[in-house]
Amino acid sequence: MSQSIISVENITKSVISNENELSILKGISFNINEGESVAIMGTSGAGKSTLMSLLAGLDQPSSGSISLLGSTISEMDDEQRAKMRSESIGFVFQNFLLIPSLTALQNVTLPMLLRGNEDQQGNELKAKKLLAEVGLAGRETHLPTQLSGGEQQRVALARAFVTQPKILFADEPTGNLDQKTAQTIVELLFAMNKDQGTTLVLVTHDPELAKRCQRTLVMNAGQCQESA
Amino acid sequence: MKTNKMIVSWSWREIWSGQLWPVMVALTLIIACVVALSTLALRVEKVMTNQGRDLLAADLVLRSSNPISDSLAQKAQEAGLTVSSQSRFQTMAFSEEKLQLVTVKSVESSYPLRGELALRDANQSLINQVKPGELWLSARLFSILDTKIGETIAIGDAELAITGVIEVEPELAYNPFNSIPNLFIHRSDLDKTGAIQIGSRVRYRLFINGDPTSLAALQESYELQAGESWVDQNRESRAVRLMDKAKQYLSLTILMVILMAAVTLILTCLHYVRNRSETVSMLKSMGSSRAWLRSWLTTQVLIMFSLAFVIGSSLGMLLEYLLRVPLADILPQDLPSVGIQPFLFALGVALCIGLPALLIPLTRLLDAPAINVIQKQSVKYSKTSWWLLLLPLTALIVFYGSNKLVWMVLIGLLVLFVVLAALSYGFLQLLGKLKWGAAFSLALSRISRAPKNSMMQLAALSGSLMLVALIWLVKSDLLGDWQQTLAPDAPNVFSINISPEQQQDYLQALDQAGLPHSDAFAIIRGRITKIKGQQTSELEAYQDPEVRILKREVNFTWMDQLPVYNEVVAGDWTGEKTVSVEQGVAEELGLQIGDTMTFEVNSQPFTATVNSLRAVEWQSLKPNFVFIFSEDAVADLPSTWMVSFRAEEDQTPLVNELARSYPTVTLLDLRTMATKVQSLLRQISWSLTGLAALGVVAGILLIFTLLRLSLSERKREITLYRTLGASKKRISHTLWAEYGLLAVSGGLVAAIAAEVILSALMTWGFELSPQWHPGMFLVLPVLAILVVFVSLRSVIKGLLKPLR
Repeated sequence: MSQSIISVENITKSVISNENELSILKGISFNINEGESVAIMGTSGAGKSTLMSLLAGLDQPSSGSISLLGSTISEMDDEQRAKMRSESIGFVFQNFLLIPSLTALQNVTLPMLLRGNEDQQGNELKAKKLLAEVGLAGRETHLPTQLSGGEQQRVALARAFVTQPKILFADEPTGNLDQKTAQTIVELLFAMNKDQGTTLVLVTHDPELAKRCQRTLVMNAGQCQESA
Repeated sequence: MKTNKMIVSWSWREIWSGQLWPVMVALTLIIACVVALSTLALRVEKVMTNQGRDLLAADLVLRSSNPISDSLAQKAQEAGLTVSSQSRFQTMAFSEEKLQLVTVKSVESSYPLRGELALRDANQSLINQVKPGELWLSARLFSILDTKIGETIAIGDAELAITGVIEVEPELAYNPFNSIPNLFIHRSDLDKTGAIQIGSRVRYRLFINGDPTSLAALQESYELQAGESWVDQNRESRAVRLMDKAKQYLSLTILMVILMAAVTLILTCLHYVRNRSETVSMLKSMGSSRAWLRSWLTTQVLIMFSLAFVIGSSLGMLLEYLLRVPLADILPQDLPSVGIQPFLFALGVALCIGLPALLIPLTRLLDAPAINVIQKQSVKYSKTSWWLLLLPLTALIVFYGSNKLVWMVLIGLLVLFVVLAALSYGFLQLLGKLKWGAAFSLALSRISRAPKNSMMQLAALSGSLMLVALIWLVKSDLLGDWQQTLAPDAPNVFSINISPEQQQDYLQALDQAGLPHSDAFAIIRGRITKIKGQQTSELEAYQDPEVRILKREVNFTWMDQLPVYNEVVAGDWTGEKTVSVEQGVAEELGLQIGDTMTFEVNSQPFTATVNSLRAVEWQSLKPNFVFIFSEDAVADLPSTWMVSFRAEEDQTPLVNELARSYPTVTLLDLRTMATKVQSLLRQISWSLTGLAALGVVAGILLIFTLLRLSLSERKREITLYRTLGASKKRISHTLWAEYGLLAVSGGLVAAIAAEVILSALMTWGFELSPQWHPGMFLVLPVLAILVVFVSLRSVIKGLLKPLR
């Protein structure tokens, strides 16, 4: 039986807005196992992004606990969580978030550098291989502004997988792309996920995309339910 | 983190594509300006100091009315200092047929220790030292005594053959009443003249040269006797006052250039932080630690500082060289070297400004939360790096602690920054209430929609324009004042000792010779004996060593009307037996209108009532008096007359003819001195104009950078308008209108502010009367519009591209 890689127990998240406390997540619990692909769906404002930021250790829950790779997030400080992200987590964002002043190749090698891997040659070889896998061979020296949206997202995919993360968080990865390009990116995402045996947590509005995942969690007014 | 090749190349690209380059430009400008200005300032200061010393003939001079003890000279020599002594006295010189009162300067062969002494002998050779047995006469004495080189004249008991003519000499006195033609003899010939006897009025000087520390130590260790005083180049009144003002101006210019660059630096850095906050959040989400981010930012800062230092220093040296090109004829050929001091100073200034300006916002950048990659959240920025502000503050206190001008400007600027922003904004709000075309209405609504941003921009724009205006106006007003003091038609020859009988004839002779002259003034020498019935020796002012007027003879005169060039600042020129007093002396003596004063001339006492106080421009060479009496008060007292006139170089024969026709009238020819002072003035003027121009260029460059930044911040918004279908024409008209309005209001407000600060600076800083510059109200808005035009033109194409 697969091991639980993310364990969420009765978490809540509240923020203060105009001096009022606003409850965004209201007592959510679930587990995600190693190698699973899980889609988080829901309407705008349902709390999907908040949940994802907590799962990825970008923020802390107001109450309850999240165990990520066997460590309790609330017991870790900022730096420990950053270390964990660099070692075990990858991200793909809706708006790609590539560094505009770095080339495609440098954007891909960046996570390895952040991990403390200073072997530039080795890093570049690895990054080139991944860029070729996403269909960008020969575009290594291009800056993000010289690439189309689809190409930028491919670079982002290569960047996310280059450190072979245990968990990949994808936040609306096709949200900014046309249907055809989106399809290609989805295919790539799932292929790489399968290759590397990564656990995938995907936030999306797209039911078709959600269907590709093994499980779907539906968020509604701060509550979370497993979809049938 | 090891400095990875990729990090360096990334940092390099961040600087150019990440909008950090304006930070580097600002840093480069600060370094270039500080290097150029401080190198030039140091050089000019050294040249000026040398010139001041030339006027003194040494680094330090002890003046005494009694023989100076040999022990001092000995002590100075033991301390490794060079000394040379001089005795000077006035006596009659006799030629075969003529006689003249002369100042005899008996000097050693080592004279002068500083400055130039040029003597031309019968063979037309130039010599620069006086040897035993020689006699050198000032050019005027040849015509007065009707003699020539080789002939013998008698000075006291000594008969000496004339060796040649004095062409250039140091120590030219500025006081026309004490200046009598000079001659030089060697010290060893002094006894032969028999002029020094008990009771004879001899002045002694000991010239000392050497390193400043030993000089200061000597001054410290020596106890001044009665009648002795130290004089160094800081004490020489007129030239030093000019130099002081020039120095103050230099400090002010450097400070303003730095301020302008600092404002740009801070604004561009804030802009960078806004632009890069998402990148930092992303890096954090990918797991980068604070330490890694800190090293990443440090690499960028280091690259920028190093590059700015190298480029800035080179540019600074080039600028300094270019500034010196027009001064080639004025500055000495062998310029004093300034070493690495300007570079260290520039680096210090750049660090003091750059570190807080860069590190405070960059530390805030480190606070950008990782969660922002998914959800934008408001951030609580840490304030731990605010202590860095102590750096520039401490530097300011250390370097400018006692410079009241600098503090005046800084505090004024701080207050004005707020006032300027509010004023400009208010002005634009007022404009918004009027009816305008579509472009102007849109522009005005855009300005009022973002009040904080608009006010910042306005304050920065009008602040920079104001500084530019100040740099130029202070320079113009200073030079104007100096030029006024030595107008091209200022009198340069004074005739004194004109007897009452000669007066009319003498004036006629001047008219016939075509020499423009002043009115004739009666000269009566006397003393002040009582003020408000109290003996002067009992007055508190008498004890003040600075108040010398109570202890010496003063030149009085009488007039029907006060001179037009004296401004009456209190009272009226009316009443009987009255006196008008110069306001500075009135202040020293605590005199008020209506006070009585008793004077004594030839043991005859007389009393007069103070009826008015006058402002007198002593620096002008016009005849001026501390006390001007009404005719009834002094007309019966014995007097001689004086008149001043202007003689050009080619009119020398006329001056000589006048001297021959009126041998008893003493002619004080100040033409050489006036030329020297004018050359000094010209030198300072050129330096100041060059520096001011540099300051203005720096200011305009910075305004340009500011506007480009502001426009690039609008890129997203403009691109959105364009994507939504707004025509290029509509957007560009609105932009022109918006920035045009900013320029006009910024320029007008800057002109008002510049006038206010300038008045304060002139009144309290430079102690000059402030002037009104209506032209600025046109020049500044036009200048602002021009800079806006250039800035907007350079970016508008890129701004008008639609979204891809």
